[in-house]
Amino acid sequence: MIEWFQFVATRLPELWVRTGEHILLTGTSTLIAIAIGIPLGLAASRLPRLQGIITGGVGIVQTIPSLAMLAMLLALLNKIGTTPAIIALVLYALLPIVRNALAGLTGVPAPIKEAADGIGMTRNQRLWLVELPLATPVIITGIQTAAVVGVGIATLSAFIGAGGLGQFINRGIALSNHQLILLGAVPAALLALAVDASITSVQWGLRRRRSARRGNRLDGLIRTLALSAPLFILATGCLAVWKPDLLSAGTTSSGDNNAPVIRIGSKNFTEQLILGEIMAQLIEQNTEMQVVRKFDLGGTMICHSALRNGEIDLYAEYTGTALTTVLKREVISNPNEAYRIVSEAYAKQFDLTWLSPFGFNNTYAITLRETDAQRWGIKSISELKSRASELRAGWTSEFSERPDGYPGLREHYGFKFATVRDLDTALMYEALVQEEVDVICAFATDGRIAAYHLQPLEDDLQFFPPYFAAPIISAATLDKHPELEKILDLVAGKISSETMQRLNSQVDRDKRSPAEVAREFLQSNILPSIQ
Amino acid sequence: MISFCSVSKSFSNGGEWAVQDVSLEIQTGETLVLLGSSGSGKTTLLRLVNRLIKPTSGKILLDGTDVATQNPVQLRRRIGYVFQGIGLFPHYSVAANIEIVPRLLDWPKEKRQKRACELMELVGLPPAEYADRYPDELSGGQQQRVGVARALATDPEYLLMDEPFGALDAITRDSLQQELISLKQRLRKTIVFVTHDIGEALRLGDRIAVMHRGRLEQIGSQDELLNHPKTEFVRSLFEKSSMPNHP
Ligand SMILES: Nc1ncnc2c1ncn2[C@@H]1O[C@H](COP(=O)(O)OP(=O)(O)OP(=O)(O)O)[C@@H](O)[C@H]1O
Ligand SMILES: [Mg+2]
Repeated sequence: MIEWFQFVATRLPELWVRTGEHILLTGTSTLIAIAIGIPLGLAASRLPRLQGIITGGVGIVQTIPSLAMLAMLLALLNKIGTTPAIIALVLYALLPIVRNALAGLTGVPAPIKEAADGIGMTRNQRLWLVELPLATPVIITGIQTAAVVGVGIATLSAFIGAGGLGQFINRGIALSNHQLILLGAVPAALLALAVDASITSVQWGLRRRRSARRGNRLDGLIRTLALSAPLFILATGCLAVWKPDLLSAGTTSSGDNNAPVIRIGSKNFTEQLILGEIMAQLIEQNTEMQVVRKFDLGGTMICHSALRNGEIDLYAEYTGTALTTVLKREVISNPNEAYRIVSEAYAKQFDLTWLSPFGFNNTYAITLRETDAQRWGIKSISELKSRASELRAGWTSEFSERPDGYPGLREHYGFKFATVRDLDTALMYEALVQEEVDVICAFATDGRIAAYHLQPLEDDLQFFPPYFAAPIISAATLDKHPELEKILDLVAGKISSETMQRLNSQVDRDKRSPAEVAREFLQSNILPSIQ
Repeated sequence: MISFCSVSKSFSNGGEWAVQDVSLEIQTGETLVLLGSSGSGKTTLLRLVNRLIKPTSGKILLDGTDVATQNPVQLRRRIGYVFQGIGLFPHYSVAANIEIVPRLLDWPKEKRQKRACELMELVGLPPAEYADRYPDELSGGQQQRVGVARALATDPEYLLMDEPFGALDAITRDSLQQELISLKQRLRKTIVFVTHDIGEALRLGDRIAVMHRGRLEQIGSQDELLNHPKTEFVRSLFEKSSMPNHP
């Protein structure tokens, strides 16, 4: 526990910024949802014919799982970051707001509405002077639900690079680092409680209207404070985003604001974070450029479309993935041939340039527990054939679907497993160790293979394509900053599969940060060679 | 002057008649009491006057003009209405409830407040104590009095009062009746006053209209109704009463 607090203390500056982003994501989307939802609720209450369409429409949105929603918006907008995240949050927030607005407005007793008409109010006067004030407590309860749920859903926005506290959670999951997960989850829960309390305080303030009217100064002040409670939270969010350095002990991080900016992306697993850091630090050390890290993006296609849209300039991709997932081509087992084909296709189709590979091949490795492999005397995938029908497999949903994943594997080797569970990369290793599954599809360079005593099987029928990693960069960025190629080439061929496995395990097993591991690697392997 | 010209109203499209073929005239400055049993169509007649509902057939004239041709908002602001269910706005204080129509008419704030104080005195609710209370902090009778004050706020030419004194004790009711009598003598208002109570009808009405099952049984002065009942219903109605309040 104390350890965790110490850990939090070292992360305070980033926690401050992420909390700010989280508040702004939730706040903005709730405000937009209010602006759309209340008129929709009003329309539904006025036009019974529209009522079904409106409540049905906002209801259907609610049934879409949040990750699917984010993925769909991504495909639709072709854009990562805050915009799709806010749109998704607004869509989720609409249901409680519209429903409660409708319930509040239709709940105004008929005799009171008739009295309003009867004394000569116009329709608008009746709405503003009678119906809305009487519906307000119910409407605010809807807003409260929307905002509190929004704080939770906003943690998922980190998947598409919108920041927020979810970034700690994602990274924590990717790195199997519980402290990091809690660094995101605990503040998010506290924030949800604070938002809930702040809106309860608004309700309380509205009910105190009566005593305030009776002119007690102190009462009036307390009431004003109660009513503005949510504003304090929003203001904190704005402050954090506006002054991100407030908690970083005085020194401002980036001196030169006019320095050209380069944005580096990464997918959401350990190796990608380390590669991202290596590239980022290389550029920081060798140029004046300001590096922005847009790490932890939730998958290949998200990185790819971010790169194509110019939302990032650079990330590390694997030849096999590019070939099958992005280009949707046949598997090619010759590594040089694969590299040649993807570089040509990327240059022609997307205006993206493949730089020299780092050196290692992070191919898939069908992996068992060491104990099982020894007991059964199995060393290669084809030897699994006789046992496959009794084994439970678990791997990423990407592997379940990719042509160079399970579907191809099944066909190539001619067997299938008893059951297959889709698991997150990090959970997959845990699941194998905990004997929840018997077979996983590890990554050849994963540090956990050694750490957890696992046995990768030889791909004796050469099914898996080579997965050599290399930086890919947009041609436009490279034109503007041609020196980047030379700088990134400093690590070309310098990271062998063994090295990568070691770096990965320093993060996964030893719980060191990717930044630190990258720094150490560069210091002992790369920098001396320049000097 | 309010005139009903063969007015009928059905809520169920030609089924039961809430009001059937009613013709009557209320002269300017006159107080007409609508007397009748529950469900006989009294409230329906009032709602027809200020266009809260439309007649199924027939028409209602206000000073000779068909109300159906008038702007409903303007029309209603000329007519003070005391609702049967009281109809105060629960989120407004007593003073704010009384000031609401002047506010809609953009009276200056001071004039509004002064008027609200006058009216609260009139209906026996001292402003110092009651102005800042809310409707749910009043007794049923006090709420009714606020309803009366609200209807009087802009000093309208017409008053529609739907059982305004129903929930009051005999003493308060007596003083408010007295107040209403002096009011109408001073201001010559045209008033339609609904009640169940025969004593109240006899005391307040210049003329009385007896309603029964949506039909107008008889309209006339106390004398006519007491001594020359046209129908069995009217006869038995007044027979039962021993006219305790008859002056
Ligand atoms: N909105 C409505 N929809 C359907 N029927 C209605 C409606 N309003 C009134 N009625 C019916 O019209 C008839 C007359 O109702 P009204 O309210 O005028 O009676 P009332 O004489 O005011 O009775 P009470 O003394 O109980 O207030 C009743 O049978 C009632 O059920
Ligand atoms: Mg009635």
